[in-house]
Amino acid sequence: MSKAGETTQAWPICSRVLAGLLGGYVFTYALTAALAQLLPLDRVDALLIASLLSFIVYTLVILWAFAARSAWCAWVVVPAAAPLALIGFWPHLLERLA
Amino acid sequence: MMTAFLGSLLLAYSSMLALCQGLERHYKQVWGRAPTLLQRRVLRGSGWLLLVASLWGCAQAWGWAMGPVGWFGMLSLSGFALALLLPYAPRLAVYGPLLGLPCWLLLFALAG
Amino acid sequence: MKQTLTQSMAWLHTWGGLLFGWLLFAIFLTGSLAVFDQEIDHWMQPEIKQASVSNAQAVEHAVAYLQRQHANASAWNISLPSERMPALRVTVGDRRSGISTYLDPLTGEPLVVRDTAGGTFFFRFHYSLSMPRNPGIWIVGLAAMAMLVALISGIIIHKKFFKEFFTFRPNKAQRSWLDAHNASAVLLLPFHLMITYTGLSIFALIYMPAALDSLYKGDFETFYREHIEVMEEPRQAQTHPAPLTPLTPLAPLLAQAEARMGPLSGVVIEHPGRSDAHIEMRRVLGNRIALTKGHNMVFDGVTGELLAGPPELRPSVLAQRVMFGLHFAQFGGYPMRWLYFVCGVLSSAMIATGLVLFTVKRRRKYASESRLGQQLYRLVESLNVAVISGLAVACIGLLWLNRLLPVELAQRAGWEVRGFFAIWLLSLLHAWLRPRLQAWREQLSLAAVLCLGLPLLSVISDGQAWGDSMRLWLEVTVVALGLLLAWSVWRLHQPQVQHSERRVRHAQAQVN
Repeated sequence: MSKAGETTQAWPICSRVLAGLLGGYVFTYALTAALAQLLPLDRVDALLIASLLSFIVYTLVILWAFAARSAWCAWVVVPAAAPLALIGFWPHLLERLA
Repeated sequence: MMTAFLGSLLLAYSSMLALCQGLERHYKQVWGRAPTLLQRRVLRGSGWLLLVASLWGCAQAWGWAMGPVGWFGMLSLSGFALALLLPYAPRLAVYGPLLGLPCWLLLFALAG
Repeated sequence: MKQTLTQSMAWLHTWGGLLFGWLLFAIFLTGSLAVFDQEIDHWMQPEIKQASVSNAQAVEHAVAYLQRQHANASAWNISLPSERMPALRVTVGDRRSGISTYLDPLTGEPLVVRDTAGGTFFFRFHYSLSMPRNPGIWIVGLAAMAMLVALISGIIIHKKFFKEFFTFRPNKAQRSWLDAHNASAVLLLPFHLMITYTGLSIFALIYMPAALDSLYKGDFETFYREHIEVMEEPRQAQTHPAPLTPLTPLAPLLAQAEARMGPLSGVVIEHPGRSDAHIEMRRVLGNRIALTKGHNMVFDGVTGELLAGPPELRPSVLAQRVMFGLHFAQFGGYPMRWLYFVCGVLSSAMIATGLVLFTVKRRRKYASESRLGQQLYRLVESLNVAVISGLAVACIGLLWLNRLLPVELAQRAGWEVRGFFAIWLLSLLHAWLRPRLQAWREQLSLAAVLCLGLPLLSVISDGQAWGDSMRLWLEVTVVALGLLLAWSVWRLHQPQVQHSERRVRHAQAQVN
């Protein structure tokens, strides 16, 4: 609720909004998939726990996009999603390659 | 169930009241002077005790699974009611539970 | 953008809150009304009378009617009268899309009941905005995420979270709006977080299918079969009806199901009167917190043998169902329902105070802005009026439309809904054309008058007010809400300085 916030330029703000909403969704998606694979539980339990936790992750990532030091920093979540996606979908990948 | 529900609502309000009066700002708001250290401690202590008592009351009304859900709701609502009442009618906010108690006792007696 | 954490969170809270606040207010207010969906349904069908009959008697009447009229139907669905919904309804064919008939539970004779959107409309609107299902729930989900983000960023920027726990300072313009916003947000924080998170959890696998994609390759059916142990084999649809065989008596099965599952909500009989008949006893949703939709007892329709009981849920599924149940608020009876309703209304009020605060803070600033800035500001002001007071008018207007539209009108329920949106749209037009304060006053007054006049409306249209105790309660509640609205109109008329003497009296007591 600061006056400073309202006078900032449009582009960094747009970039952060996109980083939070889209980048954040991609990151959360990858993390949820990875968590579902890694949890040492039956797949039903792993699925439910990972899915129900995902909204906490998404909330935190959106907050991070706005708290990050620069608008570029906010996009860190997208490269971070790549290894997580790899963990989350390696069985699918192996199947493809085989 | 109704008596347990209303009883724990009364307890929840009283606990919020005691905790609130344990804060210097709100004590001054009602009495126009600062509370002594002893008063503050007694108020806060009884506030926490009443808080536990209202949880027990909720468990009587709904059982231990649903009770805590209702308890949170009651605490929130009575805290909010108190915050609204304090600036308009500080004395009523403080003496309210004293009026509520005989009403509840009457209800309890009638319900058997 | 070099800013402190507080500043960036404040920006997020302000603009995110503004953009989604209107939507969130509508979702929270209609969601709160949906707490009493069946009570509103009942009020909107004055042809149905409250009557106390045993389940066995009601089922007997229903089956007699169905055997007379629909002996060859593929399925019979019987919705039993309950404390909240005194109607006995039978549906032939599919439970959701089949044709429904209301029966008098005392005599078993069919009743002519008006077609109405009912309280169910508020329920549907609050999770789908009356849009086609998928876009609707995605938009609501996005709004729910915005709510979570606004709550957490709000906690971060609130510097005196505990110090101002009970603080409300009236008659101080912006200060009072901020206090009201903070007090309703902080004191009800457990409710705000709970209702938002559990709301998201209901469609979790639609919003975030990552785990489903990863573990089941997106195959929901397989997951669904695995996550609850279904004892019964899925049955093949038969092309030829099985031979005629009389149905087993239902009264003993009802007693057995009640003993095991508690109060029942309905009975489904598939292939009635055939040798492969199945009887499902459905339980009322509120016997426990966990939402146990679909977990019922199934009996053989000829021998009355128990084929499948309510399944035991594994802990993770139970946790998920508890989250659903916490949101649906079917447990704990009327005391719990009232707690949910009041908390929900206060959540809506919290959002509304936030929206108003946005304009109060900027009123002076925007007066000196460019023309575009001023127009945008005016749009925000008008949207506030239309969304907050206009929705109140539209909601109570739906109840009025229910009595004013001709009973025999074709597609009556659809017209009620159209009327609801027409009123809401008109309120926006009105808010845009009228000066700000007048717009607030006029719309809130209209809502108050409609609320206070509701008992009068039912006297005139039904020939009696307070047809039964349930309608009495609804009308008393609506009148109370009307008084609250009238009070807010009266407050709008008060100039800000009038309470200055009181303020002086408390001046020494106030530590700001």
